[in-house]
Amino acid sequence: MRKWWAVALVTVLALGAWAQVRRGAWVDEVVFTEEPTRAKGIDMLIAGAIDIYAFAIPERDLVKKIIENLHYAVSYGSYNELTFNPYGPEFKDGRLNPFYLKEVREAVNWLIDRDYIVQEFYGGVGAVPRYLAITPSFPDYARLAATARALELKYAPNPEKAKAVIFEKMKELGAELKDGKWYYKGAPVVLKFLIRVEDERRLIGDYVATLFEKLGFEIERMYKTAREASPLWIGADPADGTFHVYTGGWVTTAISRDQGGNFDFFYTKRGRPDPLWQAYKPDPEFDQISERLARRDFKSIEERNALLARALELSMKDSVRVWCTNLVGYNPMAKNVRVAADLAGGVYGAWLWSRTVHFIDPAGKPVAGGKLRIAQPSMLTEPWNAIAGTNWIFDMMIIRGVSDYDTLPDPYTGLYYPQLVERAEVVVEAGLPVTKTLDWVDLKFVPKIEVPGDAWADWDPVNQRFITAAERFPGGTTAKTKVVAYFPANLYERLWHDGTKWSLADGLLGFILTFERGKPESAIYDEAAKSAFDTFMRHFKGLRILSEKPLVFEVYSDLWYLDAEWIAAARTPYLMPQYSQGVSPWHVLALGIQAEAAKELAFSSSKARRLGVEWMNYLAGPSLTILTKYLNENLATGYVPYANVLGKYVSKDEAIARYQALKKWYEAKGHLWVANGPLYVDVVKPVEKVVVLKNFEAFADPATKWLVFAEPKIAEVEVSAPAPVLRRGAPWDFLVEVTYKDQPYPVAEIDFVTYLLFDAEGNLVLSGKAEAVKDGLFAITIDAATTAKLPAGSIRLEVAVASKVVAIPSFATATFTVL
Amino acid sequence: MLENLRRVGIYVAVRGFLLFFTVVVAIWLVILIANMGGVMDKIIESQIREQVGLMFLNPDLQQLPEAMRRELYDRQVEILRRQYGLDRPFYERAARYLLNGITLNFGMAEKLTSDTGSKQVRLILVERLPHTLLLWGTGQLLLFFASVFFALILSRRYGSLADRLVVALAPTSAPPAWFYGILLILVFASLLKVLPYGGFVDAPPPPTRLGYVLSVLKHMILPVLAVFVNAIFASIYNWRTFFLIYSSEDYVELARAKGLPGRTLERRYILRPTLPPIVTNFTMSMIAVWMGGIITETVFSWPGLGRRLYEAIGQNDTPVIVGANVIYGYLLAISVFFLDILYAVLDPRVRVGAAGGQRL
Repeated sequence: MRKWWAVALVTVLALGAWAQVRRGAWVDEVVFTEEPTRAKGIDMLIAGAIDIYAFAIPERDLVKKIIENLHYAVSYGSYNELTFNPYGPEFKDGRLNPFYLKEVREAVNWLIDRDYIVQEFYGGVGAVPRYLAITPSFPDYARLAATARALELKYAPNPEKAKAVIFEKMKELGAELKDGKWYYKGAPVVLKFLIRVEDERRLIGDYVATLFEKLGFEIERMYKTAREASPLWIGADPADGTFHVYTGGWVTTAISRDQGGNFDFFYTKRGRPDPLWQAYKPDPEFDQISERLARRDFKSIEERNALLARALELSMKDSVRVWCTNLVGYNPMAKNVRVAADLAGGVYGAWLWSRTVHFIDPAGKPVAGGKLRIAQPSMLTEPWNAIAGTNWIFDMMIIRGVSDYDTLPDPYTGLYYPQLVERAEVVVEAGLPVTKTLDWVDLKFVPKIEVPGDAWADWDPVNQRFITAAERFPGGTTAKTKVVAYFPANLYERLWHDGTKWSLADGLLGFILTFERGKPESAIYDEAAKSAFDTFMRHFKGLRILSEKPLVFEVYSDLWYLDAEWIAAARTPYLMPQYSQGVSPWHVLALGIQAEAAKELAFSSSKARRLGVEWMNYLAGPSLTILTKYLNENLATGYVPYANVLGKYVSKDEAIARYQALKKWYEAKGHLWVANGPLYVDVVKPVEKVVVLKNFEAFADPATKWLVFAEPKIAEVEVSAPAPVLRRGAPWDFLVEVTYKDQPYPVAEIDFVTYLLFDAEGNLVLSGKAEAVKDGLFAITIDAATTAKLPAGSIRLEVAVASKVVAIPSFATATFTVL
Repeated sequence: MLENLRRVGIYVAVRGFLLFFTVVVAIWLVILIANMGGVMDKIIESQIREQVGLMFLNPDLQQLPEAMRRELYDRQVEILRRQYGLDRPFYERAARYLLNGITLNFGMAEKLTSDTGSKQVRLILVERLPHTLLLWGTGQLLLFFASVFFALILSRRYGSLADRLVVALAPTSAPPAWFYGILLILVFASLLKVLPYGGFVDAPPPPTRLGYVLSVLKHMILPVLAVFVNAIFASIYNWRTFFLIYSSEDYVELARAKGLPGRTLERRYILRPTLPPIVTNFTMSMIAVWMGGIITETVFSWPGLGRRLYEAIGQNDTPVIVGANVIYGYLLAISVFFLDILYAVLDPRVRVGAAGGQRL
């Protein structure tokens, strides 16, 4: 009896402690509204009418206001470049195209001054110079920092050199310079500049056009919007010469940890099937390296880095596009608000925003509770359904905020951390250059990975059963990777927002739908899903459940990444109810499956259009009438989709209980968006453009779980020469201080500190790695024998610090004289 | 009597047919302009290719053999071409747009969705209509009645301080309503913080009906004021000039000489003969309400039709553009049709079915 009392007491105490810990989100409520005017959004923030304006602002005037009045996080997802038409040397009509020659294109790198562009057109704050095909804020840049910095110095502005090269090559092409103007076959050489007008690219286009004008070219400036420019640069045959130069722009919404494919995409015919790409003629070595990088045809990280370094060099020589700027977006928020902002996607692209957003007190400590007001430039743009609904970034921000996932990406490195999953074993074929960084993944290499015959490898939509690996691959098969995903025992205790508990049926339905939507025999086949399905089937080899409670399963696949965390994160969702546009339990999706099978609604817009029915929306509108019709029917029948498989995990009574919970939810909230994240959708007013999210107090995780990601730990670096004048033949010692918010940066969080020495002409004369002395302090030691070989004169020391917890490398420079 | 009815009937039929024909021609022109005579197909196709080609930035797809990547690309392009109707020739689609439009069968939008997520053009327009009618209807009604009221007063006080003040302030209507909108927001929302920056209702919306209505009214103050302030002085000036012209007619002078009181003069000798143009003006301003105001609605984040139409034009969603214009065209035609008849009721000098200067 005493024992029971003790157990009861412990339970009560534990429950009390559980209740005291804040669960779900830090804030009680998040109210989303729409504000399409950016300037007004900033004004509202300053006036205290909202707490976050969910957009990455690049306009210099607004940026100035943000810096002066608000707190902000920066993101680097957009970049601009000059796209050249390389067809030639003559277009079909006989006009000359100087950019046919790679030397002329390469010279443009010396002609333009990227710092000038940044200072003049972006006020020195809205962008950073970009020289290379890889993004300066992504991990590959940090890995290749030495090569990158050397190339940036090599291609620093040098207008005289540019002029000399261009003039020499123009003469080679048969052009003549008369009275300061270039002529070809008696006619002036006219360069067609296709200049986008929506942003600073208009200024960049004008600037570059003027530079060419000064070199004696006649310029035809064609100012166009995206829509007007599209048929001229991407739709036209480059042989027609509709343009010579186009001011291109690209956007990335997530950190890419492997940008090796950029060369294949941006510089070779394989990049895209469009006519412009088919005119690309890269140097054979560059072409081969690009393909190898894209196909990950290398055996070690060292080999990859060497290929990448060479590709960077060759891409600058090719220069079918000359990179100009990487935009810096300012994600503004009130001074008393903190939230994780993805380095590429900003606040609205951060998967962790709802888990990290919080108010702070004057001392900077997190405050629990409060109502947070977020304005977005647009919202509720398209119908919400988890399978193929809205993909608008602003809608996805809300959807991700109310969803729970197996893993979540670190907004500053792009590496995945476990959320629902506990740990994973990643087994890869020996020889693949896969590495791991985080402890939740266990990485192993084996000579061969056999796929077990009883693993599920396909789906039969007619008989509604899984096809085993033995059936699909009668002779047996192997895979390049195997991931064993381990989930905690309390997975089944986790709740959906309508109060129902997580079930394996939720996860299995997701797996079944992967096949069902891609197979023509299925009632819910969608041709729009076929491409993704075909791609999936090329690498998917099998899935096997090893344990149901706790859930453990293994996935076999041929697709692999450089990071073991990425391989794991790609496989662990296979039995999770996660879809392209959110999460959804089986009983909610069942209504949509029934509606699509009956051709009354469709998950995807293209199928809806083909059937002449509504695109399915779980939030509002005519879809709800149809979906609730099935809800009411299912309440009576206890319908379970794909009962052959899911029936094993859901009884009729359990199904009815789920539908009852959903009915109750619908009656209370007026919509059918049931998810499982730290916030839930409480109110939706689609016409008024208001969405209210509330804290899901039954969420299993404490609010503190992801708080460490609320701010990027970008290192601050200082380096100085021991003396202004150093002597050759003597040892040199430099100290590098690395801090974050004036505190020493832990050595454990530093990937490497590398240094580069450049002579007065910008040539790289020495590079190496600094040694850690203690937290926040690194030493660069160059011995006497080495310094004796260095040239005399002005020397520049560049130090690059790559952190393990944030992808952006930090740089510091010191200049000294060598005698 | 029968002859008169026959003539009226013929007039009504001919007039109705001509107006209908005008609407058909107008819609056809809208379709041609919205699609640049078919050139837009090329632009949309390029944009589709531009968008689809981005999939090859995905490292997973870069691993696929080139032939398969090409197949995926072609398939995806074809799906989108079909989705936007590019698999059918432009003139075939244009004829369908026209037929659907004039039969008020607007069908599904190509790109836009309604706020509640529907692709039905009808819902895309209807969901926004009440908000637009509320804002612009209120603004135009206030503007119209206030203008006519003050103009009548001023027409009797020609040269007074108030009259000179209105004349002096008339140029203030040169800037558009949204300009005043921004000023009003700066003063009342940003500086004084007494009125909201915009939107239709508080967020989250008040749970009670009364609270909701009061919140909407609060949100209407600044946009209605912007519409009102923008046009009031020029409008008073116009009407006052109009009334002054009528006030100096011989029959008015005669009545005034006979010693009729001012009110009677206004009502019988000025307002009565000026009613047809007043009614016409009122009707036209009410029809104009249907189209909303693009920039003003954007400045106030007002969920109105103007913004919706702007989006439709920006995305070349022809069914939505046609739908909005068809409704506008029909409203205009019906109004003109009934105004013709109303004139005869209001003005004894006008006869329905009159032709060749003969009075029938």
